[in-house]
Amino acid sequence: MTTETSTIENKDDNKQTNSVVVEMQHLKKSFGEKEVLLDINLVMNKGENLVILGKSGTGKSVLIKCIVGLMEIDDGKLLLFRQDISQLKAKELTELHRKIGFLFQSGALYDSMTVRENLEFPLKRQVTKVSKKEMDELVKEALENVGLSDTIDMTPSELSGGMRKRLGLARTLILKPEIMLYDEPSTGLDPITSKEISNLILEVQKKYHTSSIIITHDRECAKLTANRIIVIRDGVCAAEGSYAELEKSEDPWVRSFFE
Amino acid sequence: MEKIILEHFQNRKQAEETVPKNIPEVISNTVVDKFFLEVYSLTIFTARFFKEVVKPPYEFNELAKQSFLIGYKSLSLVAITSFIIGLVLTVQSRPTLAKFGAESLLPVMVAISIIREIGPVITALIFAGKVGSGIGAELASMNVTEQIDAMQVSHTNPFKYLVVTRVLSATLMLPILVAFSDAVGLFGSYVAVNLKGNVTSYLFFSQIFQSLEFKDLFPAFIKTFFFGFAIGLIGCYKGYNSNKGTEGVGKAANSAVVFASLMVFIIDMIAVQITSLMQN
Repeated sequence: MTTETSTIENKDDNKQTNSVVVEMQHLKKSFGEKEVLLDINLVMNKGENLVILGKSGTGKSVLIKCIVGLMEIDDGKLLLFRQDISQLKAKELTELHRKIGFLFQSGALYDSMTVRENLEFPLKRQVTKVSKKEMDELVKEALENVGLSDTIDMTPSELSGGMRKRLGLARTLILKPEIMLYDEPSTGLDPITSKEISNLILEVQKKYHTSSIIITHDRECAKLTANRIIVIRDGVCAAEGSYAELEKSEDPWVRSFFE
Repeated sequence: MEKIILEHFQNRKQAEETVPKNIPEVISNTVVDKFFLEVYSLTIFTARFFKEVVKPPYEFNELAKQSFLIGYKSLSLVAITSFIIGLVLTVQSRPTLAKFGAESLLPVMVAISIIREIGPVITALIFAGKVGSGIGAELASMNVTEQIDAMQVSHTNPFKYLVVTRVLSATLMLPILVAFSDAVGLFGSYVAVNLKGNVTSYLFFSQIFQSLEFKDLFPAFIKTFFFGFAIGLIGCYKGYNSNKGTEGVGKAANSAVVFASLMVFIIDMIAVQITSLMQN
């Protein structure tokens, strides 16, 4: 494993703090006999955008699904907000997961619901009840943030790929999560829309002070959004550093991601 | 346990790749294994349903929505088929009864046939085709597009929200649809009787109600709950556990209809046996 010096770039005057929000120690995950994550060690600080790169099938999405609780880890430690999740009761873990938002690769919008209903869905599921008036305001604000105010009564099938991604982001942000997990946010989009999504990720970081893990194959997206990058190879973190550092990596395999 | 099953399948897959395909024992063992594994996972799924159905919070709004979609939206299809069946059954039965001079028994015979057997079974089969496949395809599609995962991330129990509501709706709506189907089927019979004769509706229906007994209605009504439950459960099971990919959606819809229809006949056979045992 080659670990390069980690230097966090400050972007948009967003001051990084050193408080750790996600930490993985010797994390392992396998499916049957196929070992996907062998020994993952990583740390994400509050307010930073951490980009994870790697070939398809190396378990990048599995990694963030473990963080949000969609998958369980086989071995190792996963700490969220400095709390070891294996030591937490189900209720405490649910409370921690409430602070985490997840943007799915496809947007994962509910086809049977309108845009408004999609955004209201997570609000209705909160422990503290939200009044109809507050809900309307939050929906309006969420749509304004992603520039989709005029789509409120449309169904997801009427939206383009980029709009679906933005709406998926709006639905996630409506609960104002402290950690955002983006699963290939720019996949399947044209370069212009892809750049719009990347800018949106930066706006989210700036406006809501979120810490984000971004899984991507898109070099431009990584360049624009990353404070720090981790490259995964064969189930371990193979390289770590800023975009500028990894671009000049001595390892040709790592460098190939940036060419 | 799920992990063990997964490993079992993977080992089995490897075994299939290495063992020659023309050994019948291997093939039959595989089929038998798969059958029992399917029965096992369906049992686990059913047990989970009963566990989740009593546990709060309850998804009343979704239950009402699904009941409307499953019940109300099936009315027209059920009405058309029931009317035709009532009409055809009457037209087909008339010559045979006429041979024995028992034409006056036509309304009673048709009514008992429809209420006891044809109404529940035909409606359940239509329901399996329309609702069972719909549920299977919908949940499989939600699985493929990560909507079920998204629901979980939104702190919603997807099993409770999607499966429990749909199974309950199917269980509650099918008996209502069957009652409606019986009524429309009898009306179809009345129309058929009047094609070659002149019988007043009062005479036709009073003859039916005078001859019907509790034992005709009650078992037929009770079994429809089981039909609805089986159709809803199998549709949800196939959709919820579908393979990722668009192929999985088609397979889920198809196998939901096939298994649900088969279950309707099996439940009907058991219900008939129990009823006849109780009546003896």
